[in-house]
Amino acid sequence: MSALASTYKGSNKRYRGWVLPILGMAVWWLAANQGWSTSGLLVSPHKVAETAWSQVASGQFWRAISASLARNLSGFFIGTGLGLILGCLLGFSRLFERLVGPSFNTFKQISLFAWIPLISVWFGLGDVAKVVFLSLAALVPVVVNTCDGIRNVPGNLLEVARVYRFTRWQTVIGVMLPAALPSIFTGIYLGLVYSWLATIGAEYLLVSGDGIGNTLIDGSEHFMMDLVLFGMVVIGLVGWALNTLARKVERRIQRLYGITPR
Amino acid sequence: MSRAHATARHLHKDVPHSSASIERMPAFPARPARRVRATLNTAGKWRARLGNSALPWLLPLTLLGLWYVGTERGWLSEQVLPPPAFVYQTLSDLITSGDLWMNASASLQRVLVGFVLGAGLGMALGLAMGLSKTIEDYVFPTFNALVQIPVLGWLPFALLLFGIGEPLKYVLIAHAALIPVTLCTLQAFRQAPKGLLEVGAAYGFSRRQIVTDIVIPSAIPPIFTGLRLGFTKAWLSLVVVELLASSEGLGYLIAYGRQLFQLDLVMAAVVVVGAVGLLIDRGFEAVERRLNRGRPVTLGRLQ
Amino acid sequence: MSNALNHSPGYVPHKNGLRLENISKRFVSTAGDDTQLQVLDNVQLDIEPGEFITIVGASGCGKSTLLRLILGLDEDYDGRILLGETPIHGTGLERGIVFQDHRLFPWLTVEQNVAVGLKNAPLSAAQKREAVTEHIKLVGLQDFVASYPHQISGGMAQRVAIARGLVNRPSVLLLDEPFGALDALTRTRLQRELQHIWQHEKITMVHVTHDVDEAVYLGDRVVVMQPNPGRIRRIVDIDLPRPRNRSDARFIALRDDVLSDFAELS
Repeated sequence: MSALASTYKGSNKRYRGWVLPILGMAVWWLAANQGWSTSGLLVSPHKVAETAWSQVASGQFWRAISASLARNLSGFFIGTGLGLILGCLLGFSRLFERLVGPSFNTFKQISLFAWIPLISVWFGLGDVAKVVFLSLAALVPVVVNTCDGIRNVPGNLLEVARVYRFTRWQTVIGVMLPAALPSIFTGIYLGLVYSWLATIGAEYLLVSGDGIGNTLIDGSEHFMMDLVLFGMVVIGLVGWALNTLARKVERRIQRLYGITPR
Repeated sequence: MSRAHATARHLHKDVPHSSASIERMPAFPARPARRVRATLNTAGKWRARLGNSALPWLLPLTLLGLWYVGTERGWLSEQVLPPPAFVYQTLSDLITSGDLWMNASASLQRVLVGFVLGAGLGMALGLAMGLSKTIEDYVFPTFNALVQIPVLGWLPFALLLFGIGEPLKYVLIAHAALIPVTLCTLQAFRQAPKGLLEVGAAYGFSRRQIVTDIVIPSAIPPIFTGLRLGFTKAWLSLVVVELLASSEGLGYLIAYGRQLFQLDLVMAAVVVVGAVGLLIDRGFEAVERRLNRGRPVTLGRLQ
Repeated sequence: MSNALNHSPGYVPHKNGLRLENISKRFVSTAGDDTQLQVLDNVQLDIEPGEFITIVGASGCGKSTLLRLILGLDEDYDGRILLGETPIHGTGLERGIVFQDHRLFPWLTVEQNVAVGLKNAPLSAAQKREAVTEHIKLVGLQDFVASYPHQISGGMAQRVAIARGLVNRPSVLLLDEPFGALDALTRTRLQRELQHIWQHEKITMVHVTHDVDEAVYLGDRVVVMQPNPGRIRRIVDIDLPRPRNRSDARFIALRDDVLSDFAELS
């Protein structure tokens, strides 16, 4: 039976979460207005909003964000596609797992960012290099979770398949893949998150072209705190949106399988 | 009463037979009996074991071979792909000249300071939120929102505030470590096993005793997992930060090598980064395994 | 109460009769020492078509192992198992099973789960649909055809498993402690239902259980097994009419008789 959500939220408790942010904003606004610090870095919230508006209105924001997202999504799709194939190979074939598995495990331990200099030499500083990097970022979690999901198909379900004389193909399609789906999905979810994180990093390190990361770097180079803050908010929002979307889909799949979400 | 003496075999007499008995599945066409593999004799077993442990080396060795041949034959320019010998030479040069130690220790020192700061803060935060629902209600939503911004997103902001010096790195690394540690610690204290808590209540444990004797011991493994994750993240962000903004350290070596198109240096540094990270992670894993003895293990998800 | 001979003289292999000939199985210790575990030792049994056999015994007596051998999931044993005149090899749709953990596929509805039993059956799609509907009705779950396993209770899930086991009309249905994971009330109800289904389908059933009461309630014959090594201690005929009454003096006498075997063993 699906577990019943037992939280009873007192109506006043929901507002507690807003106390800190509102307080923080108030202090910030006060500090900016009263000029508590003479450093040019203390920009008022007002200024940040102004900058935000001008960015959006002038179209700069849209250019940047679409460039970033386009790269992110292409890297994500390529990485996920390749990752699914690799993960399936690792999961289904014992031989392949012995051949490639240990090397892959070692590879995934090395920080991805350490590969950037190599990538930049081989692929330049442009979009290609960035997409390659992003694909790698998405590929790792997809492979790991897909492989795990396939290997951890419950043995007792596989026995049912034997009892009903499923052919190998039927077992793979009818039992192993559906049973592995929640895990595969977790991998894809992580791939989405990681490739977004990698997008920002890629834009810092492979500095050419448009992107939200570039906006941020610009801001810091020109000491424009308002631009930096604006960029951070955008990044946070996009990350949150991707997260929420992925979590929603994940929850649907979990509900289908009767896995009670924590 | 005669029915009572009917034997089982004639039971169906009591149930009216339908005229056509139900069609049953015919016996499936018999497959030839699957030959169960006889246990290998010792020689066979050795061969199998050897083959099994040799397999993982096949791929790396092939790649290494290709790399070697490729550079010998000049398939790619030296600047794009230096010969393995070069990389090895560079690596040993680094070691003998003391450069490696200097840079590695700079990196390690940074990551240690940052990690201790971040983990300490993270544990305190996680503890406070985990033990007190009130604090959690006030703090957690904000925390969650700030977590949405990746560490790299904070970099320009921190750059503006702290400049390029050491504090920048400490802050960023601490931030990277803080997030997983806080989340795991929070989880650890939230999920004190209910059954044990009830035992404490049944035996009249004081609130303090419940915390020290039940909550804390059962929270240690998840906290440790958090520390391990935190360290991994800290090490990862160290590399990025050094790539972008430093004048010594392993990440700096990588960036420097790339500037000068000395890929052998880059590769050597990458190898060292990977090795150190791996070693430390294995150390954490060993401790984690000891802590988790006798419990259902849920190793922290690294990737 | 006569202990029926394991092999009746003049036994004529009926089309659907199940015969176990000299079944032995050994586990060898993997620890390197020479310890062996004789899980089954020369088990012989003849099961008439349409009979309801219950196998009862303490843990470790090999009853579940025996079932797995009949099912064909395990082929590493000495001896022969014949269905009719054919020795069995591996699994086959003519031998169905209900596991203790229902093992329904969590991503399929009740209806789809029952249909899994017919996946490789030589029937047309329409015939399959009809069989599925009929068997869902047989177990009384026609209102839940579109539900998922996690939405129904354990007892209901087990009924789906029974439907799945029967849907392709096997010659033999094996049941491995099917009610072991259920509460006592559901268990009693399902025992009654199982009996009805058996009388309706007239199918041979081999039912393994550790519950002596259940064994005597359900079976035409109760096979008592003992462990170390696993062998048949004796077979008890239950000639009581159905529906059986647990308060009946004869029932109680038979049950106590079977139980006495276990008292000796402990």
